[in-house]
Amino acid sequence: MKELVDKVFLLNRITGEFETAELFHGIDETNLSHIEGRWRPLFEVRRAQARASGETMSDINAEDGHWNWGRKALAAISDPFLYDIFALECGGNTQALLMTCKGSTDCFSRHPEHPKADMVYVEFLATAPWNRPRLVKEPTYKGAGRVLIGTAVSLSIEEELGGRIGLHALPGAEEFYRDVIGMADLGVDNDGPHTGLRYFELPQSQVSDFLTTQH
Amino acid sequence: MKRTMTLNLTEAEMNAVEQMCDQKGLSKTALVRQSLRLYKSVDDRLSRGDKVFVESADKSEKAEIMVL
Repeated sequence: MKELVDKVFLLNRITGEFETAELFHGIDETNLSHIEGRWRPLFEVRRAQARASGETMSDINAEDGHWNWGRKALAAISDPFLYDIFALECGGNTQALLMTCKGSTDCFSRHPEHPKADMVYVEFLATAPWNRPRLVKEPTYKGAGRVLIGTAVSLSIEEELGGRIGLHALPGAEEFYRDVIGMADLGVDNDGPHTGLRYFELPQSQVSDFLTTQH
Repeated sequence: MKRTMTLNLTEAEMNAVEQMCDQKGLSKTALVRQSLRLYKSVDDRLSRGDKVFVESADKSEKAEIMVL
């Protein structure tokens, strides 16, 4: 059900050491049990604290805490022509998950550099709650989200789509895609299924910079 | 694992493929992949009994897509 595709390094912010992480194509019951048994309880505790203190889910970067990854995995498995799902594991835990789409109305570029060009669309990307600086006081691993964005770019290259990717960001993650990843901010959707969400793209001209930048 | 196949196309068909590749900035492999995804997603909907329509820009005309 899942296949090892690469080994990468994540910085453990607590020890200051780099650790080897494994990137898998596909997810299995172990990943889903990590999400239900480890991710969800932490999300629920912090969401309750945020509600009590008047913070929004965006303030603590927990807007995706309710996502049902079991259902998403099922969708990906039942339509492998269109969807791919990836899991990043490190330290005996699932550190981040990614689901991409290779063929839908979202898979056409809006960037002025190559309007309507085919690309890979990032449907969902989530890092474990303990890796999120605004969610926990001492986040554990740095770089998990970036590794998975790199995975989407690699998939786009593998599909001969030039490394082009696009996504809609939840408000709490906009800063990450714009300032950390360096994606182009193409504004907020005013209609359609992603109304109210800001849209980002990594155009083909930025792909090589993204892949060669050290973080 | 990837597999390779050879296609036998007429001159007109190959011209259409090359024209599409130029317009879309895609390789022939990528064009075939994207075409296959589109064909399969439409065919899957039709197989379920759904109908697929194309609407004109001004929304005055609507035509049902037929798949051969």
